[in-house]
This record gives sequence, structure tokens and C-alpha cells, in this order.
Amino acid sequence: MKLQTRFLAGLLAVFVFMALVASLATILWVNRNTIQEAQNRVELQMQSASDLFQMNQTRTHIALQALAESPRLREFLQAPEEGRIDLPMRERLESVRVKYGQDILTVVDAGRRVRMRGRPPFNRGDRISGDALIERALLERADVVGTVLLGPERLKMEGRGLFEQCLESGGEPRGMLAGAAVPVFEDGRLLGILEMGVLLNGSTGFVDRIRDGVFANATFRDKPIGTATIFMGDRRISTNVVDGEGRRAVGTRASDEVRRRVIGEGMTWTGKAWVVDARYLSRYDPIRDPDGRVIGMLYLGELEDRYLAIRTRTVFQVLGIILSGMLLTLVIASIITRHVLDPVHRLSLATQRLSGGDLTSRVEVRSGDEIGELAGSFNVMAARLHEREAELRQKQRELESVNTELAATNRNYMEMLGFVSHELKNPLASAIMSLHTVKDGYVGPLNEDQKKSLDSVAGSLDYFNDMIKNYLDLSRLEKGELAARRTDLALRRDVAAPILAGLEREMEQRRMRLEDRLPGDLVVHADRDLLRIVYDNLLSNAIKYGKPGGSITLEARSDPEGILMSVSNQGAGIPEDKLPRLFKKFSRIESTAQSGKKGTGLGLYICREILEKHGGRIWAESEEGKSATFLFRLPRPGDIRMKEDGHE
Amino acid sequence: MSEKKKILVADDDVQLVDSLRTLLESAGYQIFSTYRSEKVVEIVKDVAPDLILLDVMFAGESGPDGFEVSRVLHEEPALKDIPVLILSGVRKVMDLPFKYEPDERWMPVKAFIEKPVKPDVLLGEIKKALEL
Repeated sequence: MKLQTRFLAGLLAVFVFMALVASLATILWVNRNTIQEAQNRVELQMQSASDLFQMNQTRTHIALQALAESPRLREFLQAPEEGRIDLPMRERLESVRVKYGQDILTVVDAGRRVRMRGRPPFNRGDRISGDALIERALLERADVVGTVLLGPERLKMEGRGLFEQCLESGGEPRGMLAGAAVPVFEDGRLLGILEMGVLLNGSTGFVDRIRDGVFANATFRDKPIGTATIFMGDRRISTNVVDGEGRRAVGTRASDEVRRRVIGEGMTWTGKAWVVDARYLSRYDPIRDPDGRVIGMLYLGELEDRYLAIRTRTVFQVLGIILSGMLLTLVIASIITRHVLDPVHRLSLATQRLSGGDLTSRVEVRSGDEIGELAGSFNVMAARLHEREAELRQKQRELESVNTELAATNRNYMEMLGFVSHELKNPLASAIMSLHTVKDGYVGPLNEDQKKSLDSVAGSLDYFNDMIKNYLDLSRLEKGELAARRTDLALRRDVAAPILAGLEREMEQRRMRLEDRLPGDLVVHADRDLLRIVYDNLLSNAIKYGKPGGSITLEARSDPEGILMSVSNQGAGIPEDKLPRLFKKFSRIESTAQSGKKGTGLGLYICREILEKHGGRIWAESEEGKSATFLFRLPRPGDIRMKEDGHE
Repeated sequence: MSEKKKILVADDDVQLVDSLRTLLESAGYQIFSTYRSEKVVEIVKDVAPDLILLDVMFAGESGPDGFEVSRVLHEEPALKDIPVLILSGVRKVMDLPFKYEPDERWMPVKAFIEKPVKPDVLLGEIKKALEL
């Protein structure tokens, strides 16, 4: 079903186009959304990370507050500095430090002098300067939570292994401490400061907690979804990014761009960054000390592949939906079109049958739509055609039978006419003989009146005779008795001369002169007897209607189209407007010049019939008042279109 | 005037024979006539006419036509010099070639005259044939 295929192909084309547009839009949309989503998430994650960071310090802070409230500590701070070491106090400090997983726990007096440390080798007596936590706590007489940098001397003093730990984790002789400082009061008097914190350099717990808290330590294709890193300045000092050999990738530095932005300007940096072997959606936030100086960065990265995978999956899902929608629509459309087009198909088949000639072809469509109307019209049309054809057949049969009858009638008529004419000929011949015998005085003299009367009778008998002659020719011609039997004829010797001989006497009587310009050697290919009738009729006319004493000219020549012959006479000629009608049956020229000379109206018609039987034609030309010329042409033997024997 | 010339008129048309008789007798000929073609040779032998006016087609199917009669006459040495004029209603232009294409067989036929013929024409032809 061609139409359906085309319809569906068109639909499919529209769908494919729509699908392309929709896919493109989807990809763009998903892309943008995914990236937006990723950015939003990284922001949230960073928020969570910061909260975790804070929470961690809050634990430290709370532990310190509890310690600061203890009367034992206040007592210790108020006791004289010299003297034996308060060992229970030292044990207590160490146990708090260890319990909270902290690296340092230090007690200073109001003059920043270290009274006791909770980490072996329990150095004391030194004075701490430049520690922003302690300075702020002293200044504000309030708790301070934050991150500070510790110099190498301080690290060495704070306890065993800390300086080494810093060197190992990034190679810098400095440390970054996340912790809190809490002032200790006795009746409003500041006794000292408690400081506790974690050395971030090389610590894993901190960043891992962030990672676990934010990303639940999930992996995607064997890669961790998220990583966290702490920078001291621009150097990685704590991370859960693992290098190729499974070690934590510390010691390297952040890119210049990130450093400038975050360390230099104190802003956040968001973007994509290569970390070891995968791309991560990354965010760097500055880490500030309590004085607001940027001392480091917190980095969070989320594996981009995961977003790409989500994006790809989303795109495929949407495309899948579009495609299946399309398929479903196509199926439905094909069902609908089949339903709609089926009548069209049937109509088409019916039309084919109709045009193939089966007029009984009808189509059965009951739908009330345009196609139904079309089918209805088709059926009406087919029915009409059928009726019309039946009528036509009937008419044709009638016509044929009428024709047959007519032909038979005509033949009968012609036969009868021939018979009658023939039977008339003999009595007429004897009547003419007798009349002229009397008229010409062979049986006794006549007076003028008698002669005049007999002349008039003679004229009538001549006409009568002409008529019989023509009817006989005509009846023979129409009976097909005179079929054209062509032979090569010498025009002058075989055709013209015998006729001229028979007409000699009549020409003499009218004192007419013959101008015979026929070439002696001209040969025509025609039926001799028929061509003789033509010459007989034309010459008889020329004698009858030509000017008495005038000339009659015979001409003939060969030209490319055949043989052109003519018979002309001097005389009144024929009016221009009568020329075309000359060769019609029973056509007579009626003019004053011809009055009294009645023709039968058949001679020229017979000439035309004869020439047409030969594939030739005849026509007349006239110069009124001077001459009339009858021209006729016979085609060359090879050019004859057979009209002969085809005459009915 | 010497003895009248004898003309045999052979035609099946009684009226024509009568009018021919009237004309020819008035012109001074002695007329014999027959309506039947098969009688022609017999009569010719009997009366020895100077000229024969012979029709072509005769009523009835038994007798020979005018051409056959003239052939028979031509084949009889004693008769072959008697001139024969064919006088016929048949249209000469269509059916009768002999006058213009002379043939030994038709030698006795001196002329073909188509009916109807005017008296002066006929008399002229007869005179011409007798003078030869």
C-alpha cells in the first residue's frame, strides 16, 4: 500500500527530526542540570565538611571546658610554680589528651608560661608566644576555637614525634593545629589558658572523617567518589587521596591558580581538577586562623565520572522514552492509516478494475467521511458508466442494423435504378430515333411550329438520356461493379482519343475547336474505363456549357505529386462561390448562362468518386465570364493510398 | 438509281426496329430485320445484305450476343466482307475496345454506334461503311 508507506515514511521523518531535536535538547539540559547539580552538591558537601571540621573542634572545646572547670586544675595553677611535679595532674592531662585523640594538651599561666604538658616528654617552663589561639583567649578572656600554625621550636617543645611527623607529612618544619583554647578563671581572675588540638599534618582521622561523613566512603568503578585534603599554605599535609603506590599523596602543592585565588585572595575556588588519575569536581575553601589570616585550605573533590555516568544514564533514559514513544506512535499511526487508507486502497483497486473495462466494479465503503463520499460518488459514477455503456451498445447495435439495412436498401435501390435505367434505354433510343426521323424531315416536311415543338421534345429526351447514362454509371460505381483495375495507359491514345472521337460531331455542331496539348508519350496508371468516363463527362460538359465557337483545351503533365490533367473551356465560367459545391451529388450550376441546359447533377460527382477511388482528386477553377477549368490529379503508382474497392 | 442496298437490322427492340425501318426506307434502303441473334447468320446467307446493323445484347439467354455473331460472320469466308455496324445501348467507352484498338477478329465491324443515335449520324455511318 503505497500511500500508507509514504504516510508512515513522512511521519517517521518528522519523528526522526523531532527525536534529534529532543535528544539534543535533552543532552544540553541534562548536561547543564547535572553540572549545576554537581556544583550545588559540592557546595553542600563543603558545608558539611566545614561543619564536621567545626564539630571536631567542638568536641575538643567541650573537653577543655570540662577540664577548665575542674577545681583541681585551678588549684594546680594557683600553686607555686616551683616544687615537685604534680604527677596526678600530669596523668590526668595525658589521659584527657589521649581520650579525645588529641596531639597536644598544654596548660599555660596568664603570663604564657607553660605550667604543664599532657604529652611526653612533658616539657614545661618555656614561654609560648605567637599562638593565635592563646593570644585570643587571653585578650578576649573567652574560649577560642580555631586553627593555628606552630613553628618548629614549639613543635619540638610540645612533645615527642610531632616535629618529625610534620617533616614526614609534607616536608615542612611547621605544623597546623586544629584546636581550642579555654581560659581558666578563679573568682573572675584569669589563672591561665588550656590549649588542646590535633596536629593536622599527617593526620588521617580528620580528613577520613570528613570523607566518610560527606561521601560515606563510597566508591565508583574502584575509585573513591569523594576525597578530602587539608593544605597548610598551598601544601598538602593531610589527605585521603592515595597515590599510585597506595600511599597518601601528601607533600605536593596546589596549582598556582588555586593558590592565588584561595591563599592570596581568601576566596573559594570551584572547578574541575585532575587528581592523580581522574577528574574531580573540586572546591577549595580557605582555612583561617583566629586572627583571620589564611593559613591553609580545605579541599573537597567529587569524582566527575559519576556525574558523567548519571548524565549519560539520564540521556539514555530520556532518549529511550522518546524512542519508545515514537515507536508506539508509529505503530498506532500505521494501524490508523491502514484503517483510514484501506477504503482508499479498495477504491484504487475498484478504479483499476473499472478502467480495465469491468463496469460492474463497485467499492464497499461505509465510512461517513470524505472517503466514504468519494466511494459513493465512485459507485454512482460506475453505475452511470455501466448504464451509459449498455445504452451505447444498444444504440450501436441499432445503428449497425440500420446501417446494414441502409446499405442493403441502397444496393437494392441502385440495382433497381440500374435495371430501370437499362430498361429505359432501349425505348428511349427508339423514341429519339423516331423523333429525329420525323423532326429532320425524313418522313415528310414539317412547318416551323412543328419543328420547334419537336426540338423541345428532343431536348427533353437528350436530358433524359444523359440522366439515364449517369444513373447507370452511378449505380455501377456504387454497386462496386466498377472497381479500379489499374494498368499503365497512354493517356492520349487509350483514354482521350476514343472519347474525343465520340464527341467530334457534337463539337462540330457547336463549332468548337479542340486544343489538344496532351503529351503523346504521357503514361498514367489508372483504370482505363473509369478514366474514360471522367474525360467523357468533363468533355461533354465543356461542349455543353462552353461558348459556341470557342475552344476546349486538354492539358496534362507529370509533376512530383503525380499526373495533373485538365479540361478547360471558354465561356461564362462558374461563380467563385459555387466552385466547392460542384462535385456534390445532384449539384447543378444555375446561372443565366446555363439556363436551358439542365445537367443531371451527377456527372461531376461521378468524376470525383472515380478520382477518389484512385487516390486522386478533382477541383475546378474559373475566371468568371471567360473560362472554366477542371483539374484532376492521379497519384504516382507508389503513392496510391488504396481507396479502391473500399467504396461501399 | 440502281438496286436498293439491303440492310439487315438485328435488334430485339421492336420499336427501334420499326423506327429504323421508317428512317432507312425513307433514305432509300431495303430493310430486312430480325429480333433474334441466332437467326442472323441464316438470314445473311439467305438475303446477302450489303450491311448489317447489329445489336449486342439480345433478350433471352439462348442466343449469341452481337460480338459472337460478328465473329461467326468473320469466320465464314463468304460473309466476312459484309460490313457490320454495332448499334448498342452498352456504353462504348467502358466496354468496347475494338473500334479504337483494331483486331482482326472484329474486321467486319466498321463502327460502333451507341444508342441513342441521331438519324443523320446513323445515316452518315451507314454511308461511310457502304462506300468502303
